[in-house]
Amino acid sequence: MVGLSEGEKEFIKGGIAQDLRSDGRKRHTYRPIYVETGVIPQANGSARVRLGATDVIASVKGELGKPSSLQPDKGKVAIFVDCSPTAAPMFEGRGGEDLSAELSGALQRCLLGSKSGAGAGIDLSSLVVVEGKVCWDLYIDGLVVSADGNVLDALGAAIKAALSNTGIPRVNVAAGAANDDQPEVDISDEEFLQFDTSGVPVIVTLTKVGKHYIVDATSEEESQMSSAVSISINRQGHICGMTKRGGLGLDPSVILDMVSVANFVSRQLFDKLDSEISAAEADEDES
Amino acid sequence: MAAKPGAASTTYSPIDPTNKTRPSIFTGSDVDWLRPDSRAFQQCRPAFFRTGAVNSAAGSAYAEFGNTKVIVSVFGPRESKKAMMYSDIGRLNCNVSYTTFAAPVRGQGSDHKEFSSMLHKALEGVIIVETFPKTTVDVFALVLESGGSDLPVVVSCASLALADAGIMMYDLVASVSVSCLGKNLLIDPVLEEESYQDGSLMIACMPSRYEVTQLTVTGEWSTSKFNEAMQLCLDASAKLGEIMRSCLKEAASATQE
Repeated sequence: MVGLSEGEKEFIKGGIAQDLRSDGRKRHTYRPIYVETGVIPQANGSARVRLGATDVIASVKGELGKPSSLQPDKGKVAIFVDCSPTAAPMFEGRGGEDLSAELSGALQRCLLGSKSGAGAGIDLSSLVVVEGKVCWDLYIDGLVVSADGNVLDALGAAIKAALSNTGIPRVNVAAGAANDDQPEVDISDEEFLQFDTSGVPVIVTLTKVGKHYIVDATSEEESQMSSAVSISINRQGHICGMTKRGGLGLDPSVILDMVSVANFVSRQLFDKLDSEISAAEADEDES
Repeated sequence: MAAKPGAASTTYSPIDPTNKTRPSIFTGSDVDWLRPDSRAFQQCRPAFFRTGAVNSAAGSAYAEFGNTKVIVSVFGPRESKKAMMYSDIGRLNCNVSYTTFAAPVRGQGSDHKEFSSMLHKALEGVIIVETFPKTTVDVFALVLESGGSDLPVVVSCASLALADAGIMMYDLVASVSVSCLGKNLLIDPVLEEESYQDGSLMIACMPSRYEVTQLTVTGEWSTSKFNEAMQLCLDASAKLGEIMRSCLKEAASATQE
């Protein structure tokens, strides 16, 4: 946790009120985003995203499993975030558990939609191999290596990049299997199916300091917040998930205003992320 | 659909903000959803509150909304654990747990681990923590039966228990959730409706101050639908706040006699 003097606190709040933050950004400007894909060779897909000093890694691993009986035509996805002690000493042991649970929950809400599967950013029906018997279980793991504010947005971007880097191996099902038995499957080592990530939303966290909201707060700015709302928006401008991240109460009109600001900011973020991801993939192909 | 004026009613139903009657049959292949307890889409379940349910706690409350039954006890302000750092404002510690017989299938309340932190967030903006420095207030919620819309009932019941314990707050917190099934918005969903929902919106707000303390959205929402759902929830929360207030007044007048 940062220790700030009264003067520094006034400086941060005053700067935000005048649309000039401590690092020179405007209220709705993101820090430079750097994306690298394919950082973990053993995973099916992975990405590392750096947002200023915030550094996160996301990896996607797929295993064959059985679909749930309630939804036999859909695969399964589990999202889990781990806060590493390298980010902050208080994350050692069980200290980071609260933050990890909060981030995992928020990401699940934003990317996986509701229980019936509607509104999911990831198309789960593309993960099924044999309906009712064999499907892909995707395990998406996020690791927070360095935390300087806005970890949730960075994780959302990393998961989007990791999913676009993910290659699901092609599975050949042995023909002529009896109806009740588990069919024999052969996982190919060569052919891969790329994941369709056009429906994956981005997460925009708006932090309210005084009367104004800022996007992409550093941890100093986050310590001065009165409240924060994380909104997940997809390309069509629909809200895919929203969580208020604690703090004081907010007037409903403020929330609606935040949604429109998030809509506006997300369009720029989508373009930036897409260009960064394709640049990263191109780099990876070359090396 | 609207509550009867004059009577001390325990049902609360918000006014339809668009003033349109909802079409009862969809075009297309969507089947019209008939609510299991034959409520209208925008009618909430009857709310029952009682404070003073647990004698040994500083404050407690019991809430029953249809099949959802929750009991909350508040202990404190008590001395903070020795391992905690000195803090010149009070601390809040929340815990939500499910009994093993709460869900229809035994022991299935495990995907509600985040309810404790969500309850904490809903309450932290409401409690005036400067009034109990160096100490901790513990809020323990136990869901006796899970019948849908669990977290909103827990939040409302917890704020009543805090009021019963005499903890200073800016306002009571009333919480309502709305489920989206196809094109319909159903307020106060039951367990069955929650399992079929396409999206959900939960709001915890302070009715008198008209401020939202906690907000969660799942599923895909267009901005206009989100707006409509939020207005629905705020309206219902205002009415729920009235019911909670009358419950506290009854309890206070009963002890005076």
